[in-house]
Amino acid sequence: MFYRLSGIKHTRYVSARALWPIPADRRILYVLGALALLAPVLLSDLYLTSYMLPWLIWTAAALSLTLLMGMAGQLHFGFAAVLAIGAYTSIHLTRAGVPFELALLGAGLSSAVIGSAFGAAALRVKGLYLVMATLSMQYLVEWVIVNVPAISGGAQATLNTPDVRFLFVPLQSDASLYYMALLWTVVVTLLLLNIRRSSFGRALVAVRDKDFAAAVIGVNPVRFKLLAFFVSSFLGGVTGAILAFCYYQAVTPEQFGFNVSIQLVAMVLVGGLGSVIGAYLGAGFVLLLPILLTNLLAGAAQIDWLPISFNLIAHIPLMVYGALIIGVILFEPLGLAKIYDNLRKYFLVWPFRHTQS
Amino acid sequence: MTQQQAAAGPDTVLECDGVCRWFGGLQALKGISLSVRQGEILGLVGPNGSGKTTLVNAITGFYPPQEGSIRFLGEPIQGLKPHRIARQGIARTFQNVALFKGLSVLDNILLGRHIFMRPSSLASLFYWWWAQREEVKHRLRVEEIIDLLQLEGVRDEPVEVIPLGLQKRVELARALCAEPRFLVLDEPMAGMNQEEKEYMVRFILDARDAMGVTMLLIEHHMDVVTAICNRAVVLNNGEKIAEGPTREAINDPAVVTAYIGKMQDAA
Repeated sequence: MFYRLSGIKHTRYVSARALWPIPADRRILYVLGALALLAPVLLSDLYLTSYMLPWLIWTAAALSLTLLMGMAGQLHFGFAAVLAIGAYTSIHLTRAGVPFELALLGAGLSSAVIGSAFGAAALRVKGLYLVMATLSMQYLVEWVIVNVPAISGGAQATLNTPDVRFLFVPLQSDASLYYMALLWTVVVTLLLLNIRRSSFGRALVAVRDKDFAAAVIGVNPVRFKLLAFFVSSFLGGVTGAILAFCYYQAVTPEQFGFNVSIQLVAMVLVGGLGSVIGAYLGAGFVLLLPILLTNLLAGAAQIDWLPISFNLIAHIPLMVYGALIIGVILFEPLGLAKIYDNLRKYFLVWPFRHTQS
Repeated sequence: MTQQQAAAGPDTVLECDGVCRWFGGLQALKGISLSVRQGEILGLVGPNGSGKTTLVNAITGFYPPQEGSIRFLGEPIQGLKPHRIARQGIARTFQNVALFKGLSVLDNILLGRHIFMRPSSLASLFYWWWAQREEVKHRLRVEEIIDLLQLEGVRDEPVEVIPLGLQKRVELARALCAEPRFLVLDEPMAGMNQEEKEYMVRFILDARDAMGVTMLLIEHHMDVVTAICNRAVVLNNGEKIAEGPTREAINDPAVVTAYIGKMQDAA
């Protein structure tokens, strides 16, 4: 009814494998795309720079991680370290006079190389043991950054990002920073969608599901596990650079601590493992919900609806937030993406009720 | 050993010679020698635990033999990694269906084309200019196999929701998509009813005729083995106890003894 399927007939394999074969999906996308493009006009500076911008960048980070954890099935609990490597590499490269475009590439490459070196552990271990191996990456990278003055700029130091231009556009105004982040997030999104419908993504899923069956059809499990780490860390590195230049504009090691890694894993899990739309929803949930809850409660307290202590007002959002995460996982273990999918399927067959799968 | 090689004619596709495999103190394969000829369906039968699947795992590289040699089209392949052996032209299906959950039937079958494709993340990034043409080219081949095995109706279903009989057929389709010279079918009819079995037999024969693929069939349904296998090899306790034209091989007294114990005079 709302998503009409009648009359959609594919006569070519290309159109049958299109990213959004259903017109209704495309229409939603056009609206969202237009809103994203117009955001600097529609939103106030505060909302643009402290809500939309970080949401987009963390979505890109969650997408990078979901490629590894969801599609390739390799757990990674030290992804903040990957972002950190990218952020610090890009800053040092631009400071040395390298153009920003190349610095982004360098950030991605350095993250990819170091990330896949630690990912090599995945060739030997799985599951919880891989979690330990990636955790060690988190702490090692953090330790190295803090203790090598050449990288961190000295103990307790903050590195400011230099002014840069991207394709001749100076990245200074809020709008230009926002568009830079939007561009990167769109690129990562399209990459993930395309990986999923091409041979690379199928090979990743094959190794994730049954590596022996993957081997028997000619997929080299070692190669694709390493490639998963390489590509995911590359994306993470560039995202880290974008995060540093477009959002933080000054980096310290604490911005890439262990809790950030856990937040990223939470984004991926709450959103839905391996799901692209889940990364958007998960990042929004983890990032924006606490702010929303705090604002709601503060607002309620201000107009005397909640006669409770300030202490409690500060803590209630955290409790509700935790309860909501557990609630989502219990209600739908496949995350927000699955909830969206269920809704979509409901409208797909409305007014009938039954869908397969 | 050299005698065996001499005995194997030029039309030999696969040749095992004295293949041994131990698991700790257990010798699962005790010097198995057999050869598979071009275009035939060779039945591999034997009681449970007789080493059929171990032999297949030795051929496909999962448990490389500790002794003996395996030659495929004259080239030694023992000790190669499974994915390398796959690229040489050996495909197989598994006893308990090994499809990739979370992918559609079509994607599962497309994975069978993996060895002919050049997967890369850059090609995926520039999908419209780079990967798309390759995808379509291989889709055409996949659709031929889908036609051959009559899987059109379930093409877009997630693979875990279709019935077992169809899943086995999808697995066969995936194996055939690799255009193998030699195909190992490990109990393709396990857990099927009579009708599904008959379909499967038909599809196996169709696949052989259409693609000229040589097959090794492990199966417990003797009606199937006698119906479609040109020859049979019988294993028991890791040893070859009979070999020859199917009916003769499975009527061999040693085989009957292995399956149902010593024959009584009255019986």
